[in-house]
Amino acid sequence: MARTRIGLFAVAIMAMVAMVAVACGDDNDDGEGGGGNTLQTVIDRGELLCGVKDSQAGFGIVGADGIFSGFDVEFCKGIAAAVLDDASKVRFVPASAANRFELLSSGQIDVLIRTTTVTAERDAGRAVDFAQTTFYTGQGFAVHADSGFNSTADMEGATICVQSGTTTEQNLDDHFNELGFAYTPLGGEDQDTQEAFVARRCEVWTADQSNLASRISQLENPSQYRVLGQIISKEPLAPGVRDNDSEWKDVVNWVVYGLINAEELGVTGANVGAMASNPPNAAVARLLGVAFQGGEVANLGFDVDPQFVQRALRAVGNYGDIYERTVAEVGIDRACTLNALYTEDKRSCPPGSGGILYAPPYR
Amino acid sequence: MTEPVAGARKVVLPPHRVRAQRPLGTRAREWTRENLFPSPAQAVVTLLALAFATAIVALAVYLVLAAEWRVITVNRWLLFAGGFPQDQEWRLWVSVALVFPLIGAAFGLWASLGRRDLLFMALAAGFLFFLARHGDAGWASTVWVAGSLALFFAGYLVCRLVPREPGRARSIATWTAGGALALALPAVLAVLMAAGGARTNEFSGFMMNLILAPVGIAGGLLLAIPLAVGRASSLRAVSWTCTAYIELIRGAPLIGWLFVALFILEDVIAGDLIVRTMVVLAVFTSAYIAEYIRGGLQALPHGQTEAAQAVGLGRTRTLQLVVLPQALRISIPPIVGQAISLWKDTALISAILPLRELVGNSKAAIAQPEFIENRIEVYVFAAVLFWIVAFVMSRVSQRMERSLGIGER
Repeated sequence: MARTRIGLFAVAIMAMVAMVAVACGDDNDDGEGGGGNTLQTVIDRGELLCGVKDSQAGFGIVGADGIFSGFDVEFCKGIAAAVLDDASKVRFVPASAANRFELLSSGQIDVLIRTTTVTAERDAGRAVDFAQTTFYTGQGFAVHADSGFNSTADMEGATICVQSGTTTEQNLDDHFNELGFAYTPLGGEDQDTQEAFVARRCEVWTADQSNLASRISQLENPSQYRVLGQIISKEPLAPGVRDNDSEWKDVVNWVVYGLINAEELGVTGANVGAMASNPPNAAVARLLGVAFQGGEVANLGFDVDPQFVQRALRAVGNYGDIYERTVAEVGIDRACTLNALYTEDKRSCPPGSGGILYAPPYR
Repeated sequence: MTEPVAGARKVVLPPHRVRAQRPLGTRAREWTRENLFPSPAQAVVTLLALAFATAIVALAVYLVLAAEWRVITVNRWLLFAGGFPQDQEWRLWVSVALVFPLIGAAFGLWASLGRRDLLFMALAAGFLFFLARHGDAGWASTVWVAGSLALFFAGYLVCRLVPREPGRARSIATWTAGGALALALPAVLAVLMAAGGARTNEFSGFMMNLILAPVGIAGGLLLAIPLAVGRASSLRAVSWTCTAYIELIRGAPLIGWLFVALFILEDVIAGDLIVRTMVVLAVFTSAYIAEYIRGGLQALPHGQTEAAQAVGLGRTRTLQLVVLPQALRISIPPIVGQAISLWKDTALISAILPLRELVGNSKAAIAQPEFIENRIEVYVFAAVLFWIVAFVMSRVSQRMERSLGIGER
């Protein structure tokens, strides 16, 4: 019977039709697809979606208890505290080097804080805007302590371990072409390059200098290795937000600036409560969004209330507090590096080194 | 056997007895030549096998002597449950306690435990106990493990009492167990999530694999049956649509479909990424299983349909009572193959999606500074977990094939 047959396949046909209809539909009612007003989305959702790394100690890693920690993770918490008044209202989304920008542009994360280098191509060519740099690093080199290498000028013909498919690999090639040196690259994943270097399958290991320092400090015998002072690239790591979303970018940006300014002004996670109830000067009062000597609370025009920096400080402390808790723990010293405050006393630093961390005034 | 007497006729021994009387060294050499090096080509195969065996033994020796398993015991929560809220741990155990007796019942009804299965289970149980007892796990998890295993055996033993012959008792038992198995997945999800439980975006670790694969397999099977029947339909519109669906889905790799789940389905299916991933896994699996079922349909002699119609069954009833049961039975081996394949494919998910299943969390465990040199241990552990589940699936399918008499006619 034709009728029963048609009835029999009705489900199948309906499924097909539904799929086609659904595939053609474009009801994008969540308002998350690029641009838009992420700040309002985050507030409405009551949760910040933060794209982080899950496997780099010091920056973003999942612990044995399944909980994220690290430098980038702290900034996520700071932003959540600033916007939602609760540092625990963050969902950490593990982003990979390959999918991070698409996760951001498709609205599956609100902010990307994943050791991401600011480059012109990324800023101009991808749907990402960068906020203030949180960490300055550069591509460096590690060698065995008993080798004669002191800089790349000694490395003609050397075998060099480098992570495949990264800007690191391109920088290395550019640098050695410029020197006119031949070299043998030995590629692999982050972890492979480390093992190859330790096993002396390569003489030199190149990666972000901070990454080299932290990984070597974790090895069995760190004194067998040396990290050279030379840097061949600039790798400023910054939070990324979607293009053309200035209210949200302002907030992310000024949470970072605010935590840097707080360190400069002497406001820490430990004393922020006391400072807020009794601000020592007008600059601190403005930063914490409180009145100074009976005056008005300065409203600088952010789309969040004036105390957002204070909330971030209460949750995660200032820039230096975050650094001490995370990056310093994996053996990356701060003194005399680019990540020290610009006010650092540079007389104790080797010539040419010293902090450049500088935030615009909060006023 | 009598002693040979002088002058008696010499006893002619059969060839294998003659060989057996020669010195051991000669026999060993002969055996080696006949069995291991009968021809140059086979000699090469033997040597390759030897090299392979050596590598396995070396790995085993390393694992026993040099490996440091602390990375596993310290990270056991990360590997099994990851971001699942720790104060909700009981929900995981209740799920285990729900599923184990059902698996036991399935074994009891449709298969039986042989000596090898028991040995394997003893090993797996010992391993679970080791994990539960190690470190600071405390007694609670040990009790849970022991209780779950006891429930497995209880389910098994109770169902062993059900007679094997078709009858009222057996049909009641199989329908009950089948229904419970079908409801197990929603029940587990309810236990994990209901009343202040975890959110789907808190699923992580091995538990994620254990949820995604069954959803993909069950969903795929449900979608596949109408697809297979539709593809065999004489209505062109239906068969073409089904064919197009199957060919489209099979034509692209799973990785591609995972990207679809990540970036394209987002605008279509509200809800989070795990739900979208489940949909993609089910859709992907359905295309393959539909083809296996079509194979089963085509293997059925026309006489079956004709006979069913001759006794007055309509099309629906013919399909339901005569065609599909036989076609599905024939398709069980390839369907289980596809299920095992999907099970292993869940290891891909962390590579593409911002979700963390066992392999993704394994990478995080290795990245912890103190365990940076223990990656072999972590990957071996992950491989063993995948293998255990795949092995159970293949054993169940073998037992089912035997008890359903597939391939015996």
